[in-house]
Amino acid sequence: MSSNMIMLKSSDGASFEIEEAAARKSKIIANMIEVECVDEDKAIPLQNVTGNILALVIEYCNKHIVDDDDDVATEEASEEEEEAKKKKVDDWEAEFMNSMSLETMFELLLAANYLNIKSLIDLVCQTIANNIKDKTPEEVRKIFSIENDFTPEEEEEIRKENAWAFG
Amino acid sequence: MGSGLSLFLSNVSSCYGGRDLLKPCLGDLPENCVAMILKNLDPVEICKFSKLNKAFLSASFADFVWESKLAPGYKLILEKILGDFPQNLRKKYVFDFLTRINSFDHGTKKVWLDEQTGGLSLCIAAKGLLITGIDDRRYWNRIPTDESRFASVAYLRQIWWVEIDGEIDFPFPPGSYSVFFRLQLGKPGKRFGWRVCDTRQIHGWDIKPARFQVSTGDGQHSSSQCMLKEQGYWRYYHAGDFVVGKSKSSSTKLRFSMTQIDCTHTKGGLCLDHVIVYPSSCKDQLKQI
Repeated sequence: MSSNMIMLKSSDGASFEIEEAAARKSKIIANMIEVECVDEDKAIPLQNVTGNILALVIEYCNKHIVDDDDDVATEEASEEEEEAKKKKVDDWEAEFMNSMSLETMFELLLAANYLNIKSLIDLVCQTIANNIKDKTPEEVRKIFSIENDFTPEEEEEIRKENAWAFG
Repeated sequence: MGSGLSLFLSNVSSCYGGRDLLKPCLGDLPENCVAMILKNLDPVEICKFSKLNKAFLSASFADFVWESKLAPGYKLILEKILGDFPQNLRKKYVFDFLTRINSFDHGTKKVWLDEQTGGLSLCIAAKGLLITGIDDRRYWNRIPTDESRFASVAYLRQIWWVEIDGEIDFPFPPGSYSVFFRLQLGKPGKRFGWRVCDTRQIHGWDIKPARFQVSTGDGQHSSSQCMLKEQGYWRYYHAGDFVVGKSKSSSTKLRFSMTQIDCTHTKGGLCLDHVIVYPSSCKDQLKQI
């Protein structure tokens, strides 16, 4: 099968070749292809994404080309097949997310957000949510070094507003 | 696409501590990303983390975050409670409002969402039920009591034919529900400010079980029977279950009843507070109410 290949270039100058179908997972790139601003011999420069993160993004996209037409596939495949397929993808995603540090996760989220890859955004957000879920806000602040940018008055205001959630 | 370009670098500098400032951290994420993380948490957690920093706070107000927590038919529920309501309410406030216990139908019904799971519970007071013989004071009396969330219960002195029916047409969100009758054998009262229960009129419940039934407009039917035994305590008696499917049309017609119509003996000394429709998955919590 001769599928179109597209070149992507990271902010630190690394080039990656990727199938068009995989690249289309990114709305931004899909749009660029639609309006034909992709030159066949020129790489698309992605100023906001470093090479190591772009490699992860491409790994994810390649893995998910097949389920691009999700909705059509669901109607035809039997339930068990569908379930087995879903489990395989879930396992792969769990492994994929497990293998990276939190820092990488945030960079990946920013990249997915920039490239507008909805399913990847969802995956990373779900993983981060699972990570902070059972912690107190103080713990989360400490672990993720989040600066408390509220004044004491503002903090008191929020506390009052959300009284039902803490009581 | 240019709008995303500057986010990355402009957000890097706001963190403190000895970490690599070129690496992003949770506190540097743009608000839309934070909102998408919050969407994966339950409502109580969203509020908990809204005080992390300003980005988390404003993200915790995003409509799409709360829309995912609200049942699909929430507008119909609002309509039931309020009649008319402004269309452009912030979804967080809608959720907030629906988690409070709201009365409707002249105060005979109360409805609320669980603030953690978003599951819906609905309570129908004795006043909102059809009780055979309720107008005859020889049989049934209404007595005020603070042991009921409706401040009033129906008390049965004695009768041959016990029949309590109820019916409601309500936009229940998809899910499994259980129906319970809150009953007590004995008459609630107070002596010197203390809660007391008069058990003298209790009779006839140890001969045959009471029968409970639940049915829906789309043909579901379930029933159960139970001997009423415990005296002096409010208990939830399980009447039956029903399921609201995902593709369900907007409203579910629900009917339920409790009967003890064995006319060989009279029954009495029973107190009826309310009927509650509760998410089946959380029904263990009912015992704590």
